[in-house]
Amino acid sequence: MRLALSRVPVPVQMPLEGVACLQCTPAVYCVRLAQALVDDYCSLVPGSVQTLQHIFSASPRFCCQFITAITMLYDLSSDDLIPSPDLLEMVVSWIFEDPRLILITFLNTPIATSLPIGFLELTPLCGLICWCVKAPLAYKRRKPPPPSGALSGKVAGDSLGSCDRDCQLLYSRLHLSVLQVLMLLQGHLTEKNLYGRLGLVTGEQMASLVEDVRLLSDRLNPLHASKEIELALDRLAQVLQVAMASGVLLWTRENLRTVCSGLPHNNLLQLVISGPVQPPAHAALPPGFYPPIHTPPLGYPAHAAHPALPAHPVQAFMPGVAFPYRPIR
Amino acid sequence: MSAQGDCEFLVKRARELVQGDLWAAKAWLITARSLYPADFNIQYEMYSIERNAERTASAGRLLYDMFVNFPDQPVVWREISVITSALRNDSQDKQTQFLKGLFETLPGRVQCEMLLKATDQCFNTLERAEMLLLLLRRFPETVVQHGVGLGETLLEAENIEDQESPVNCFRKLFVCDVLPLIINNPDVRLPASLLYKYLNKAAEFYINYVTRSSPTENQYPGTQDTSDLVSPNKRSAQKYIIEGLTEKSSQITDPWERIFKILSIVGVRCEWQMDVARRSFGDILLKMKDVCRYISNYDNEAHAKYKTQVVYSTMLVFFKNAFQYVSSIQPSLFQGSNASNQVPLVLIEDVSNVYGDTDIERSKHVHKKRKLAEGREKTMSSDDEDPSGKGKNRLITINATDLPNSVEVQESFRLARESWELLHSLESLDKEFTRICVSWKTDTWLWLRIFLTDMIIYQGQYKKAIASLHHLAALQGSHSAQQIMGQGSLENQRFLIQLATCHFALGEYHLTCEKILDLMCYMTLPIQEGAKIQDDQPTLKSKFRKVSELKLWPCTSKTVMPYCLRLLLACFKLRAFTDNRDDMALGHVIVLLQHEWPRGENLFLKAINKICQQANFQYENFFNYITNIDMLEEFAYLRTQEGGKIHLELLPNQGMLIKTSSPPLGLLQQEFIPVLQPSIQTADRHHTITRGITKGVKEDFRLAMERQVSRCGENLMMVLHRFCMNEKILLLQTLS
Repeated sequence: MRLALSRVPVPVQMPLEGVACLQCTPAVYCVRLAQALVDDYCSLVPGSVQTLQHIFSASPRFCCQFITAITMLYDLSSDDLIPSPDLLEMVVSWIFEDPRLILITFLNTPIATSLPIGFLELTPLCGLICWCVKAPLAYKRRKPPPPSGALSGKVAGDSLGSCDRDCQLLYSRLHLSVLQVLMLLQGHLTEKNLYGRLGLVTGEQMASLVEDVRLLSDRLNPLHASKEIELALDRLAQVLQVAMASGVLLWTRENLRTVCSGLPHNNLLQLVISGPVQPPAHAALPPGFYPPIHTPPLGYPAHAAHPALPAHPVQAFMPGVAFPYRPIR
Repeated sequence: MSAQGDCEFLVKRARELVQGDLWAAKAWLITARSLYPADFNIQYEMYSIERNAERTASAGRLLYDMFVNFPDQPVVWREISVITSALRNDSQDKQTQFLKGLFETLPGRVQCEMLLKATDQCFNTLERAEMLLLLLRRFPETVVQHGVGLGETLLEAENIEDQESPVNCFRKLFVCDVLPLIINNPDVRLPASLLYKYLNKAAEFYINYVTRSSPTENQYPGTQDTSDLVSPNKRSAQKYIIEGLTEKSSQITDPWERIFKILSIVGVRCEWQMDVARRSFGDILLKMKDVCRYISNYDNEAHAKYKTQVVYSTMLVFFKNAFQYVSSIQPSLFQGSNASNQVPLVLIEDVSNVYGDTDIERSKHVHKKRKLAEGREKTMSSDDEDPSGKGKNRLITINATDLPNSVEVQESFRLARESWELLHSLESLDKEFTRICVSWKTDTWLWLRIFLTDMIIYQGQYKKAIASLHHLAALQGSHSAQQIMGQGSLENQRFLIQLATCHFALGEYHLTCEKILDLMCYMTLPIQEGAKIQDDQPTLKSKFRKVSELKLWPCTSKTVMPYCLRLLLACFKLRAFTDNRDDMALGHVIVLLQHEWPRGENLFLKAINKICQQANFQYENFFNYITNIDMLEEFAYLRTQEGGKIHLELLPNQGMLIKTSSPPLGLLQQEFIPVLQPSIQTADRHHTITRGITKGVKEDFRLAMERQVSRCGENLMMVLHRFCMNEKILLLQTLS
């Protein structure tokens, strides 16, 4: 089955807007649709990923759902479920260009106390977090492809190595975007008075991620994969800290300690589990709360990013101020 | 682990990652900040990454955070001072542009606060002022609080730092940058006395700025004849820089416009009688004359107000037009004048009627003699008369090719003169104007002295003009002490030619002649005879015009020399055509009449007539300096039967050999023979001595005539220059 995704953007828009309400469709179908799109545009005809790129400009909402579905599909649990470099690059470039993309569905959906089971999640956040944390380990675990044709294994291994390095940089970029989105969310949740009340990333999801990391690092030889393990744990620690601080993950340090107890040692993770040494100097701010002005300097509207500040240049004019100068003589 | 240790660890990890994986480094810092939001180093590290990558928006936001959250961190202040100094910098390099852009991303309130705090940290007055100016320009409401204070600081700094010239960095900032902000801000109200003080400072600055002299090297391109000026003028490439300021900041466009603008604003603020904005100088002057008429009717306060109005308005019109005049006639005097390849001009008495009717001259001379008898010389001078009444409508002729905008220049000259007169018309005005001039040390302004001298010459006060010229020469001496002769010669020529013209007008012919002969030393030869002097035949010779005319005459060898020859002729003419016999003077006149031949033909015929009447004529320089074929023919004819058999003693040593002819003159000549005849070879003289007395003379005359005819092609200017140089003593003797 080949989906009618035309090269021409205009006709594309219609079917895409139609499927934009994937939210109302059971997750299984959504994943299948995503699978079909990826098969058609990434695997079947290599290089035709450009066509898929159009989705971003045609329908960001669909794009968001598509990413959610992709992360569900490619959960890095086996070599086959590692996204292809083309697909990865496309997703990363979308998000890097505008991290708000991740939140589109969430921001346009009425807040419900509980999500219906069996449907797509509101954001691809959790999936993306898993990608970033597990990627170093999953790529390390992957068996080298069987030497094919005239190419010697060494050369193939080398090209694979450079390709992996590129992918790792993409994950690094994606990870930064995720952290930035988490901080964006802090502002949003505070504004909506939902801070500490809505766990957009659930404890269960994170616990499951921690378990996967533990299994993956156990399976890998720690002597050969110490760098990968450290990177995975660094990212895990970072995302847990920022998610907790921004109120996206409703965990205490105690929860953290319990869940992460089985993991190999990592300095940053240790630091995050034990929390900051002293209470913050800014007594006026609640612990862990960072003022919304510190949200990342990406292309957001000023009012969203800096709600406390007037857009500059606003200068207070003081016509009533008396002239203070008196001549000396 | 301590908090400090944690933070150091986090920052260290981030720093290690910057090179290899910038994204990871940022992720580390975000985490670190979320753990320790109050730690400065983490945020500074974040800022450093964005700044080093020159990402303006994100760096700006992080700087803002630091400015708000860590206002006491020295590092933040160092950064702010780097940014604010970039704001004062004209440079276009990438780093400066980035820092400027970074500052622009900050909210106005923060910019204002930053500038104020940065100002507090400046200890250097100039930097402080520039910083505060950034603030005042961006935030007009701060002018009320800081404007006048800054102005006073700058004026004080100028005194403390003992600035020699009013064109210094402090005054520039005050006049060009701070003052407009103060006086244009309606919320700043200042007492009139302060406004006048500021107006004074501004006027002094702008006038000195406009009239700043050009650098001494390459100062006098006009000394050579313009035809020699093939090399492009290098001066335009040199930029003027006020010490302490950047090149860009040192360039001031339309300085006159600016000072009249300030005058206008001050006038409006002080409630003067008329707004000078958009009025012509002529209009302003007329209005000031009007105000003057009623000025004594006002009470004290209004009187002081209008007096100030008249003095400042008229004074600026005066300086502007005097400058206009001087910069037109001698552009090379000023820096930044673009007409520097224009010929410098000099104001002199017109003597183009020197070839005119001798009868009129004679009757005039008779008149003069009578006056002399009364013990008072009749001259053109009006030194003893009221200067304002005299010389009102003298005509100044200017050749259009010498000065394309001659009408404007004449108008400037007139306006400057009339402004000057108005400023001296009332005692109170005079006093105030003089006070200002003294404080500005205007008596050291060379250009102004040039104008004043010309004005005095125009007024016909030649004795005063001579004094003024000596004053001018003294100023030039101090201005160009280090200059070698060649470069200063334009000034010397101007000085000597004007002295000569003044002495001539006073009837002091000996002194006139002396100055002209001095001037001859400066002539660059050869001068082509063919170079036609365009002037002349004064357009209208009104009988009613009592005073003589003036000329603005190009000050180059090519033009100065012909003028000198005419002036010389004018000096000798009077003596040559008296009833008393003076062969020497007559001879000199004939030599000089060769110049511009045949314009002096009538005079020459007059001279021939006189010789015929005398029946003999002695002039032993004849063959040295007379090469005009018409004249030679005429003299050859005089000796013939038909010509009247006139006895001519024209050969050098005739007088020595024939003792009979006119003993006093002969003796005189004998005395001078070695000096007078350097061109005559001794062999020649020896040859004549060995000849028979009368027969030999006749033969010698014929030979001399023949030889002379072959000299007809010689460059006449060279001959006449030689005449002036070699016969200097004789010429002066003749006039004594």
